[in-house]
Amino acid sequence: MFTKKLFALAILILVLSLGGAALAQDGGNTLILARAVDATGLDPHTQTAFSSLRLLELIYEPLVTLDSDLSLQPGLATAWAFSEDGMTLTMNLREGVKFHDGSDFTAEDVIASFNRLLAEETASAARTNYLSIVSMDAPDDYTVVFNLNTADVPLLAAMASFNAAILSADVIANEDPALVTVGTGPFKLDSWTPEETTLLSANADWWGEGPFVDGIEIRIIPDETSILAALRAGTVDFALLNDPLVATLLIDDQSVVLHRVPSLSYNVLQLRAAIEPLDKLEVRQAISCAVNRQEIVDSAALGEGRIVGPLTMASFALPTDELFCYEQDVERARELMAAAGMSEGFTLPVMLANAEPPVAASIAQVIASQLAEINITVEIEALEFSVYVDRWLVGDFTAAVALNGGRTDPYTMYSRYWQVDARFQPTAGYLDDTLDSLMKAGQVETDFEARYQIFADFQRHLAETSPWVWLYAPYGYTAHLPSVSGWEPSANDSLYYLYNVSINR
Amino acid sequence: MRQYLARRFFASLFTMFGITILVFAAIRLVPGDQITAQLGTEAGMLSDEQRAAMERYYGLDRPPVEQYFTWLGGVFQGNLGYSIRQGREVLPLILDRFPVTIELSILAILIALLIGIPIGILSALRRNTWIDLVGRVFSMLGLSVPNFLLGTLIIYVLSVYFGILPNSGNYVDLFQDPVLNLQQLIFPAITMGFSFASSVMRMTRSAMLEVLNEGYVRTARAKGLTERAVILRHALRNSLIPVVTLIGVEFGYLLGGAFITEQIFSLPGIGRLAINAITQREYALVQGVALLIVINFILINFIVDMVYGWIDPRISYDS
Amino acid sequence: MTANANRLPKTLDAAPESRTPPLLLRLLRDRSGTVGLVLVVFFVTISILGWLEITPYPILEQHPIDRLQGPSAAYWFGTDQFGRDTFSRIMKGGANSLQVGILAVSISATIGTIIGILAGYLGGIFDTIMMRLMDILFAFPSLLLALLVVTILGPGLSGTVLAITVVYTPIFARVARGPVLALKNAEFVTAARCLGAEDWRIVLHHIFPNMRTVLMVQVTLALSWSLITEAGLSFLGLGTQHPEPSWGLMLSANRGLAEISPALILFPGLAIMLTVLGFNLLGDGLRDVLDPYLKNE
Repeated sequence: MFTKKLFALAILILVLSLGGAALAQDGGNTLILARAVDATGLDPHTQTAFSSLRLLELIYEPLVTLDSDLSLQPGLATAWAFSEDGMTLTMNLREGVKFHDGSDFTAEDVIASFNRLLAEETASAARTNYLSIVSMDAPDDYTVVFNLNTADVPLLAAMASFNAAILSADVIANEDPALVTVGTGPFKLDSWTPEETTLLSANADWWGEGPFVDGIEIRIIPDETSILAALRAGTVDFALLNDPLVATLLIDDQSVVLHRVPSLSYNVLQLRAAIEPLDKLEVRQAISCAVNRQEIVDSAALGEGRIVGPLTMASFALPTDELFCYEQDVERARELMAAAGMSEGFTLPVMLANAEPPVAASIAQVIASQLAEINITVEIEALEFSVYVDRWLVGDFTAAVALNGGRTDPYTMYSRYWQVDARFQPTAGYLDDTLDSLMKAGQVETDFEARYQIFADFQRHLAETSPWVWLYAPYGYTAHLPSVSGWEPSANDSLYYLYNVSINR
Repeated sequence: MRQYLARRFFASLFTMFGITILVFAAIRLVPGDQITAQLGTEAGMLSDEQRAAMERYYGLDRPPVEQYFTWLGGVFQGNLGYSIRQGREVLPLILDRFPVTIELSILAILIALLIGIPIGILSALRRNTWIDLVGRVFSMLGLSVPNFLLGTLIIYVLSVYFGILPNSGNYVDLFQDPVLNLQQLIFPAITMGFSFASSVMRMTRSAMLEVLNEGYVRTARAKGLTERAVILRHALRNSLIPVVTLIGVEFGYLLGGAFITEQIFSLPGIGRLAINAITQREYALVQGVALLIVINFILINFIVDMVYGWIDPRISYDS
Repeated sequence: MTANANRLPKTLDAAPESRTPPLLLRLLRDRSGTVGLVLVVFFVTISILGWLEITPYPILEQHPIDRLQGPSAAYWFGTDQFGRDTFSRIMKGGANSLQVGILAVSISATIGTIIGILAGYLGGIFDTIMMRLMDILFAFPSLLLALLVVTILGPGLSGTVLAITVVYTPIFARVARGPVLALKNAEFVTAARCLGAEDWRIVLHHIFPNMRTVLMVQVTLALSWSLITEAGLSFLGLGTQHPEPSWGLMLSANRGLAEISPALILFPGLAIMLTVLGFNLLGDGLRDVLDPYLKNE
């Protein structure tokens, strides 16, 4: 009867769809890249989201870049030098570089870009890293002199940021850089359909070696489990992954190559020393001693994380045995609580942002279980992201599980928290003279050895006064099919090196 | 009838105004604005002048009432505002995404009806036999598996056991490539239709059971009509009313976008647009999508009421 | 037992020889009803035990060494990524999930049905206004609503219940209204009116009993939906909050771990499925028993 006919029809449709889909799509010499989060805008000076930078770094270039060891390499500048007193920075620019619209790259573009970056109207959140620049001169077309109002060692590292990308002076003067994308980088932007697809084509006139693919098709697949499926089915060539739980499934998978790169960002339990009883040093130290960082990594991230001190970059990282209570010591924690008169314990509200990162809720639950040993009852408050940011910025919380971004330079990484009048002091909730003076010393010290010592003291002091409890640094993951070769992941998650990649289908 | 339609129309306007004002207020009551959504914690690095500049840029610096009426005025001229994040005007953006959702919803409902109604009828006719049991267990499955789980399972099976995945973020619409389009929509449609199929099956079965014992059915049988005619012409028609209600409800719900399914299958539909608009605090976009959803509901409810009248001659709207 | 449509239904004025047995006994004679009752009672019982925290292990206790194990003698349903006992969490999870469902559905069913009956019966302006109000509730984007509710009330039980209630009330209103529209012009209603019966009496004694079946099915559907809606809300972070368990939260939180340990979604999934089965069979049984025209001959 007719029901049977309907069933047959349904099955027919199913079979057709499965059969047809077996004809897999061939990307040709275009790299098909999948990621979960799309860029939020196209203006390199104002975009702060990592997802935006991961796109823009293929199109725009700064004066200097970082290689996979995080040391400075020439970008659009070939040589640079500070003056004796550190008050001027002279940069020699690369010759023969063209913008995507065919115009030449000269000192004029550099000056126009930095002027735009520093203008209030542009509203660039990164501006504060370049405030030492008072004026700029261009003695010739390929030299720029930056005149500074203070010796600013981190400035060079800050110039490696894609927030300091060089735009065309023409575009700045006549168009809106948020809408018109003209850079000097290895790839040109053909089209951007937000939350769907981005099409890039190779820049044949690029000054470097490459690219070896005709273009990149970036597809937004919001669910990382689905990205995993796409990799397994071979429908995408390359993927960016953030969720450690998804990445662990690829470790033993022969059909996909997984790269793990230590990220500069860090998971931390922020405590606000402004609020009782966290104002007591012993209480904060007790929390730091009661926490078992390895267990957090194992439970929340299935072992995917490295335990580090406050500074996550390899050049300044301290061995964790030099840091206060990085090994769990519950006995000591109890003694400290008793010394503070808090053996009875207290309730600690901990806020976190839902799904930013996904492991935050898991981290909080492990911490809750561990702090219960010293009679601290953790109340977890999971908030929607913007709600969380709102409260975080004004310091309207007692404790928070946060994933904060790192930087390649230790001063730039923490200058916003641990100095007098630092922008994020309300969020940091703590300050003392030692931290402030160490920060200020670190900004001006030019000798690397001396600087290392300054920041080593800085980290030890932070661990000891425990305004925050640093937990672990996550990994960033890139995965690709075996047919993709030439990929070298970099320590700051950058996709820039995609210019080196080729596909052998 | 004309009186009824006129009343309906003005009531609909009332609904639309109500919703737009409520949504307008609601999205502004929730903490966080477009700047914090866009920049995250970096928003704290903005100086006061920079923040003021951004607020001017996003149109956040004017008083809410003025913002509402500016928006409303724009609506009457066909301008629903601008989405800065997407770099496009709201109306074209919505119109771009809407067909995906429509197609997906229609497919899902068709699948649900194709599966649910026959099983419901069979179950009712063969009540308390093993056919009935199988049908009812099937309907339990549909009601108890969350769509995110079903979707994940389908994608897992497709990629691991069949080595294929039509949904890899490269959505094509019906006119670009009908075959690929159907391949991309069939699995999300099954995911969404599966649970609705269960509801349809249960409603159909239950309503059929009631109707099969009604007076007019016995009369039809007594008249010697074949079983098939009895079912199709009399019983089915009258048992459809609650099913039509369900279809109306489901269609309206689906047209609001199935966020979770779209998320898992990477479909650029209204659901993702709406949720992302809310999390990104894109006020104009949220209001635009809300307006669209309201209009959908009004139209669907109207159609459902008209269908009631057509199916069941006892129902009349002239009072 | 087969359907035999040729037998006349029992007439209402037949003098019963024995008293009609109590509802429970009648229910137990019906096969589906029995199975349904057993399932529902079972899950409600373990949920109550879970709520009272009479469980094999404390619900929040973590045993990191034993994380991600499958079912074993020590942990009947295995453990999660923190080493918490899944069986204990299923028990408490049942309490949390069912609490939300029962509260939300009772409130929305009551309010929605009343609104639907009134709108359908009274018609006119009242009908129009009520239904348009229901449309507003319907059309309000449910995530924005849930987000708003959670922001104002804070995440947790009341917020989730309120969010689900608001979404289901219009559904009940619509489902109740349909039959009323059809029935209010039926002959027996007109007859009753001629006899001088007041409106409320007509609604209660004549119209409502004819809607009962549809409503009952809708209630069991809604109870089943609520378990899934709660799962969906948990997926978005708006349902039950960590570290409290609920079946829906366990399903959504462990979705990524399912490949490593399928038990993590298998057991909450089974729990939901069997409970849904129980509700529906119980609903069917009740309907069979209460509606004399449908009894098996």
